Amino acid sequence: MRDTTAARRTTAAVWTGGVTAVLAGMPLLARDRLPDRLATHWGLSGEAPDGSMPLWAASLVPALIWLVTAAAVTVPLMRAGPAARPWPTVTLLPMGIVLTGAQAAVVRANLDRADWHEARQPTAWVVAILVAAVLSGVAGWLLVTRLRATPDDATAPDGGAPALDIPKGRRMVWFSRTANPWLQLLAAAIGLVAVGALVALVGGLAEPGGLWALFAGCAAGSLACAVFSSVQARVSERGLEVSFGPLGWPGRRWAPGDIDTARMEVRRPSQVGGWGYRLSGLGTTVMLRAGECLVIRPRGRRSDFAVSIDDAERGAALLNALRTNRTGG
Amino acid sequence: MLLSLDKTDTRPLHEQVAGALRRAIAEGECAPGDRLPSARDLSDALDINVNTALRALRGLRDEGLLEFRRGRGVTVAEGARPHSELQIRARELLDEAARLGYSRTDVIDMIRGLP
Repeated sequence: MRDTTAARRTTAAVWTGGVTAVLAGMPLLARDRLPDRLATHWGLSGEAPDGSMPLWAASLVPALIWLVTAAAVTVPLMRAGPAARPWPTVTLLPMGIVLTGAQAAVVRANLDRADWHEARQPTAWVVAILVAAVLSGVAGWLLVTRLRATPDDATAPDGGAPALDIPKGRRMVWFSRTANPWLQLLAAAIGLVAVGALVALVGGLAEPGGLWALFAGCAAGSLACAVFSSVQARVSERGLEVSFGPLGWPGRRWAPGDIDTARMEVRRPSQVGGWGYRLSGLGTTVMLRAGECLVIRPRGRRSDFAVSIDDAERGAALLNALRTNRTGG
Repeated sequence: MLLSLDKTDTRPLHEQVAGALRRAIAEGECAPGDRLPSARDLSDALDINVNTALRALRGLRDEGLLEFRRGRGVTVAEGARPHSELQIRARELLDEAARLGYSRTDVIDMIRGLP
């Protein structure tokens, strides 16, 4: 396990460094044959360029974009553990190819021109780059998921799942709820902005165009924050029911027979990519705060559903007990 | 919070639900200020009528164990835990007395006669 992690990190570092060097180096190496300013942007309509950069900027800007993206993708995932692994490959491989291809196309288009206005749009290059990017993305995804498939199934957490003893003739139910006051506060604050924008719109105080966008964005943001600021879960003979937000809507439900295993896991927002309803290498996570999460593996699925909730251990134990009672007799 | 009901219990359902909640409070399953599941949630999970759940919750409010707050739902009252334990013990006393053939008034008289 350690070896492959080290190998992955080395590969990521070499790929990042290599692409940076190529991006920054290409214009500099060819500077004797390039004009002072390079044509770097072409419009959709014409052959002639409509944007240019000095040589040093054309060399540094793509390299900087690349470094920032690479850092943004790899740093959070380094902390996320092995399950979230496909994403660096799937994003960084096509991204590196697109940037390198674009830089090569820019240099090629400007090569041996006296002035950047003479550079012609490299249409064939653009098409080739896009095709290569899509292919590499698919290849990266297949490669990573194939590599992952074997060890992942072996480590599927089945043994050691907690189970509760339900005495004969007893009916047991488990309730829990968790709220994140910061998200509630955020929802209220964004909601206030939305209301302010609406009042200004109705009162005709400001230009409608931008304000409608502000209102729509803030209203949607406030709603999303409010829905994922609190969560209620209950486990009963009907299975696991999870509902979000102060209204208990939307919600999700699994019957005991639809669940393979249930367990408790400690997860952090940095592992799943933030707060709210997250899809990541760990499956679906409804993340309100760092800490205990109730994690279930629905029957016939290869990914988990997790919700951050207090007292998750006992909820999982009761769920497992209900599940085995159901299947056992 | 874990609630448990005895399916073979012959007492009225609302008393059983109230008993389960009382035990949960006495055992510290929910601390003062914690929100309880709503009557609808309780009735859904336990597969009982909403009114039965509501009756149980109201009974516990009258004992001073719960507070009904507008907009915040049902919460556990301040200092509910010792009160809950006392309520449970009073009920156990009555059960024990009934088993030995004493009526409720006998027990009340017995308590009155205590110094």
